[in-house]
Amino acid sequence: MVLRLLASLPILGLLALALALPFTAIGRRGPEAQLRADLPGAVGALGETLPDFSLPDLEGRPVALSELRGERVLLTFERSVDW
Amino acid sequence: MRLPLPYRALCGLVGAALVAAGLFLVLLFFVTHAPGSDPAIPTGPVGLYFAALGGCALVGWGGSLLAALRGAGAARGAGTASVLALVLGAVLSLSAWVLGDYHVWPGELLRSGAAGLLLLALAFTWARPRRAAAAPGDAA
Repeated sequence: MVLRLLASLPILGLLALALALPFTAIGRRGPEAQLRADLPGAVGALGETLPDFSLPDLEGRPVALSELRGERVLLTFERSVDW
Repeated sequence: MRLPLPYRALCGLVGAALVAAGLFLVLLFFVTHAPGSDPAIPTGPVGLYFAALGGCALVGWGGSLLAALRGAGAARGAGTASVLALVLGAVLSLSAWVLGDYHVWPGELLRSGAAGLLLLALAFTWARPRRAAAAPGDAA
């Protein structure tokens, strides 16, 4: 009985962590969570001009948004699955 | 000595589910490599290979739980090993959730899945037969 109780303690601790993670600083620190937290301030509202930024193209050359002024620009972020 | 019914049910259900999940992952490997098929899980060939290899281990784990139904000693040992594996799986899932790179596909399933694994670990901990119930000479 005592051993079962002792074995249950770390399991219950992990269970509590699983339930509480979204409300902790650990849960908010991941790259995805950080990106989501930054997103509202980084993206302008519909119809507004985005601030100039630069990103590498497929060949690794930097491309600034200002270089594409006057053209239609579609910006997508995708994860390569190497398939 | 005959195993208690709740523990028999736990080992039987979890064992069968693990064998089914393992066979699914192995089958997925072959189906995904068929010409013209799309990957069913968002991973490359290497990830698919390791998923299938993990599936083989699941078949072994589930088979051990099903085989353990025959004796209290073996069932006790299989229960202990299962608790360790379930807790390890939960730690892995929670770590993946915290890392954030896996939010795109499984999302919150990682956290709820970890909670499910931990509840199963608790069930195995408490439903496991006592050492005295194991047959003499059985390793537990």
